[in-house]
Amino acid sequence: MESHRIIGGGGLGLSEAGPSATHHQHHHHVPTYGVLHGINTTNPSTLINEGHAFNFGELEEAIVLQGVKGRNDEGKAPLFTTAAAPPRPAATLDMFPSWPIRFHQTSRGGSKSGGESTDSALSTKTEPPFEAESPMSKKATTPSSLDHHDASRIIGPSSSSQAKSPHEKRKGAGSTSEKPLDAKTLRRLAQNREAARKSRLRKKAYVQQLESSRLKLTQLEQDLQRARSQGLFMDCGGVGGNLSSGAAMFDMEYARWLEEEQRVMGELRNGLQAPLSDGEMRGIVDGYLSHYDELFRLKAVAAKSDVFHLINGMWTSQAERCFLWIGGFRPSDLITMLIQQLEPLAEQQIMGMYGLRHSSQQAEDALSQGLDQLQQSLVDTIAGGPIVDGVQQMVVAMGKLANLEGFVRQADNLRQQTLHQLCRLLTVRQAARCFIVIGEYYGRLRALSSLWASRPRETLMSDDNNSCQTTTDLQMVQPSHHHHHHNHHHFPSF
Amino acid sequence: MQYQQSSASSSWSYYMTMRTRHHHAAEDDIAMDRVARLASESAVVIFTISTCCMCHAMKTLFCGMGVNPMIHELDLLPNGKQIERALMALLGGGGGGAVVPVVFIGGKLVGSMDRVLAFHINGSLVPLLKQAGALWL
Repeated sequence: MESHRIIGGGGLGLSEAGPSATHHQHHHHVPTYGVLHGINTTNPSTLINEGHAFNFGELEEAIVLQGVKGRNDEGKAPLFTTAAAPPRPAATLDMFPSWPIRFHQTSRGGSKSGGESTDSALSTKTEPPFEAESPMSKKATTPSSLDHHDASRIIGPSSSSQAKSPHEKRKGAGSTSEKPLDAKTLRRLAQNREAARKSRLRKKAYVQQLESSRLKLTQLEQDLQRARSQGLFMDCGGVGGNLSSGAAMFDMEYARWLEEEQRVMGELRNGLQAPLSDGEMRGIVDGYLSHYDELFRLKAVAAKSDVFHLINGMWTSQAERCFLWIGGFRPSDLITMLIQQLEPLAEQQIMGMYGLRHSSQQAEDALSQGLDQLQQSLVDTIAGGPIVDGVQQMVVAMGKLANLEGFVRQADNLRQQTLHQLCRLLTVRQAARCFIVIGEYYGRLRALSSLWASRPRETLMSDDNNSCQTTTDLQMVQPSHHHHHHNHHHFPSF
Repeated sequence: MQYQQSSASSSWSYYMTMRTRHHHAAEDDIAMDRVARLASESAVVIFTISTCCMCHAMKTLFCGMGVNPMIHELDLLPNGKQIERALMALLGGGGGGAVVPVVFIGGKLVGSMDRVLAFHINGSLVPLLKQAGALWL
């Protein structure tokens, strides 16, 4: 019995420890005892008796209900704990630790248990995330009808809020209001009222802050999408925050090259399907080779004006950038992929492919090591020696940087030679198939980058708090998603 | 060198330029001979500059293939400048950038990194090396 009483009282105490429960978690033990004592010693009669008998049954019911619902977080928020905010969005709601437990004065006849009224009222005003934290709001039966500027609450009804029927709650609520209230109880109630009021105000402020942040975020996202779509992505590496003219021009020409690629790919595909003669196929395959030759020519021009743009890969898609090697694709990786995709091949051809890959790897290693030495030399120059001569240092460093262009040009040269050699190793039709595979492969990487850029993101605000604003993000993503569709509509094979 | 305007001095200046050119030509011939000589001294000869990173890449490439090339660093040779000029002439202009690295295999000019990579990829570099005795099966 004693234990029951304490449970009931504990439930009472914990949730009723109004000010403390509302404000700080660590306080709620103290007033528990105070309240317990207060109840036990001063008014041992009806309040606790009825409360206890009343509470326990409904408490049990509530617990069972929670368990049945199977809601982990909320289920675990028993009435005992005033740190009622479920673990997940806990960080945001630590300010309101007494949720979902609430208690309210029963003088308002129709008033529900406080938790319900507060939570439900709040939940109508707040974002979906808040809904999650107040399990009782889910069960609220008369949510919005209540004025949430209620007077303070009492626990008895709060435990009953877990139960379904309003009738019982009313009874519970009513039972408290009908009893004579002594000074201590009055004071307690007043404190509760005050605490609840402060709590509400804090919550209001917080919600407003969140709202404004969200608006700002939406605007930022839109600006970003707009800027990206115009190809004027502001990255700090560029001159004056914009792309250099050489880089911008190359980007434009590259975009045109991509469109041309679709045309040439179409020619290849049609050529393979239609029974074209080998001679005609040869012409088409050579056309594809010239198409790539054109790209390398464009890159050579760009390397003269802005080698960093080529090296940092901003001209290419994100997924391609992932595999970037000195401003472009790595030939040996491409050959590895092709060896798999182009089966079946003649023995001699396979040997040839492996040999090509080996040669390419040797060349790649040599160029990579040369570049490493360049970087090291640059570091030594910039770091400076014992005597730092600023101008001289810069002049030397500039001279070293100029070598970068040479490396990018040699890397492109390697890529170009590899493609030509592939053509020589294969028959005409095999070469056509090979180029179709290459074109599709990079096309898929570009499509992947597109999808990745427009994926719904859940962690936009994760730095500030742990709230998940997935619904918001999905809404914001829509425009960009459409935009990407628009931009990449010419990859029909995907 | 200041060129004077009078006809007498112009012929003098003409004489001077011719003399300088001839002087250079003589030096260049000497340098050219030297290049030819150095190139035949070893199966694989590479002319480099010690601080040049592309030269480092070239060295790495050949060493990676198991070749042991003879390296001549122009900035450490007494007549390095002339040799560089000779190489530039051999390569046909050489472009705006540095002329090095320059590779000779079996005494014959192969070229700069451009050509070496092209030969390597199209599979003709290794036979060339074997022919010159720089690589064995």
